[in-house]
Amino acid sequence: MPSDRAESVKVSSDLAIQTSNMTKIFNGLVAVDGIDLNIKKGELFALLGPNGAGKTTTINMLCCLLKPTGGTATVMGYDINRQPFKIKEIIGVSPQETVISEHLNCWENLALIGKIHSIKAGELKIRSQQLLETMGLGDRAKDQARKFSGGMKRRLNIMMALIHKPEVLFLDEPTLGLDPQARRAIWEYIVRLKRETTILLTTHYMDEADFLADRIGIMDKGKIVALGTSTELKISVLEKHTMIIYAWNLTQRVISEMRSKYDEVEVTNGTMIITDKRLDFKEIVDLLHSSGAVVRSAYIKEPTLDDVFLHITGKELRE
Amino acid sequence: MRFLELASRNLKETYRDPLALGFLLAFPLLFMLLFGVVVGGEATPNFPIGIIDNDHTQVSQVFVNEALAEVDAFEVSTYDDATKAMKDLKFGDLKAYIVIPQGFGQQVIQSGQGDEANITLNITYDESDIMVSEQIISMINAVTRSFANIEIPITIDSNPIHIETEITYIDFIAPGIIIFGLLILIPTSARIMIHDKEKGMLSRLLTTPARPVDFISGYSLCLIAIAIVQIIIFIAAAWGFGMDIVGSLWLAFLIFFLAGLCSIGIGMVVASLTKTENQAEPLCWIFAMPLAILSGCWFSLEIMPSYIRNIAYAFPFAHAIDASRGVLIRGVGLEAISGDLLFLVGWAVGIFAIGVILFRRSMRS
Repeated sequence: MPSDRAESVKVSSDLAIQTSNMTKIFNGLVAVDGIDLNIKKGELFALLGPNGAGKTTTINMLCCLLKPTGGTATVMGYDINRQPFKIKEIIGVSPQETVISEHLNCWENLALIGKIHSIKAGELKIRSQQLLETMGLGDRAKDQARKFSGGMKRRLNIMMALIHKPEVLFLDEPTLGLDPQARRAIWEYIVRLKRETTILLTTHYMDEADFLADRIGIMDKGKIVALGTSTELKISVLEKHTMIIYAWNLTQRVISEMRSKYDEVEVTNGTMIITDKRLDFKEIVDLLHSSGAVVRSAYIKEPTLDDVFLHITGKELRE
Repeated sequence: MRFLELASRNLKETYRDPLALGFLLAFPLLFMLLFGVVVGGEATPNFPIGIIDNDHTQVSQVFVNEALAEVDAFEVSTYDDATKAMKDLKFGDLKAYIVIPQGFGQQVIQSGQGDEANITLNITYDESDIMVSEQIISMINAVTRSFANIEIPITIDSNPIHIETEITYIDFIAPGIIIFGLLILIPTSARIMIHDKEKGMLSRLLTTPARPVDFISGYSLCLIAIAIVQIIIFIAAAWGFGMDIVGSLWLAFLIFFLAGLCSIGIGMVVASLTKTENQAEPLCWIFAMPLAILSGCWFSLEIMPSYIRNIAYAFPFAHAIDASRGVLIRGVGLEAISGDLLFLVGWAVGIFAIGVILFRRSMRS
């Protein structure tokens, strides 16, 4: 590892990104408000928040497009203020807007970024081939990008961030404006990238963060308002869980027993809804079985990140 | 080489867009065609005229100092002999020079007394400026007739230089139209750069290890390639429309190339100062159109008021037109146009330096 990686900031060797009170103010408007983030190497971290929360500004500071107004950060040990070109060599950025050269084909678009990163021609070809295959653009590789669908352009957009095998990958809203099928294809590819590279992803889609991220930072008005794994976030903010059971032959005795054990039990036409802080799925189903009830189906209604966001900020995520 | 990759990408983006490329090349050609076919232009002239008085009489001196000097359209300077005057004419400092022959005063006095007289003036003029030379001859004719108070036309012993080539309007207009084509590089270069800025490509590329100098060279090389192709096409087209090429083609090419560099630099400055194509485009035309008119792309600069000419010569394009007309039409060499060339080089270097500084500043906020 090069010796000039920042020493002024306390760097833990297992951290890929570390920010310390990083702030950006545009003409008096606070876009990012003193955030502290520690993202581990190999981690897929999602910044989740509504438009205007400061997610893209955060990324832009980390990839040295914007200078922070205050505070600092390191990327793989390099200081964003003092060593921007060191950082630019080891990161890949897939911008929020699809930014590709429309009159260039896939090969040429990939070569543009690859050659700027000084990748040798032979390696570039192999790497491009691999990416084109995995991203499913192999048969359209020689077509100019302007002829592509939105989903294909998006994939090329991500491929351009990957061509030089970056140590840290920034994906700014990777599936913005795509149909569910195209989103799913990109998710699958991102999942495959996990562990190979550290990924910082921004999104305002709850399901995206939930599906992809190891950890999630919920961002609102320039601040990280909650941080943790999807499960941690849901547990931390939601006090009660709900289990819904469809069953035949629910006796009065078992209903009474349930009511004595759990906070709320509602029964209507063979549907039992139990709500409490702690619910043990197996225990409840076993109890029903032993009472002679026939359980047709049962599930615990999972809290969503929407619920988490609503709980923390008092507003819905989607405007 | 990062900048080569950037340049090659910029070129592909340009030549694979047939409409944009068509506009780039066809627009000035259309102008050349129009001007080649429709000849026009009214003049409020201001012509530098040289006088060689071989008569040395009181009459000839009054003719020079009062009659000719009073003509607003003339800027009269006197010469001792024809060699120096011819040199200035060739360098474009004079539009014509008049040799007053011995006996001129005598003939004027005779005609004033009602006797038969043969008043002769020898005029040598720059034939390449057809509009101008015709006006000069008729004006001198009129002035002399009124001075000598006679009704009959005086004998004008005209001596156009360059008599072996027949100068057509296209000869005069073609260098100007070529410069106009190169002025269109202002919006072109601004558009190529601002497009990347607006669409986020510049931001994307700024997250790579490419340095400011890579970007500037990448854009410049692409635009220089466009400029070279443009110049070749324009010269070929002008030649096809009948322009005679008297002087060194390479020298003419160098002049056009430097003018092209200045355009690219201005476009780069505009692109650095603006954020969107909608801002950049009108700003570029605000530069390009007045510069085209001011620099004499379509009209002779002599027909403009002197303060306008001073403004025009503060920019490189009037110099480029003068120099290229000198080379292409009059066949002058490097020495004659060295002042114009130096001015062009200075401008190109200066505007590029400003462009680089502004670009660097706009890189990271």
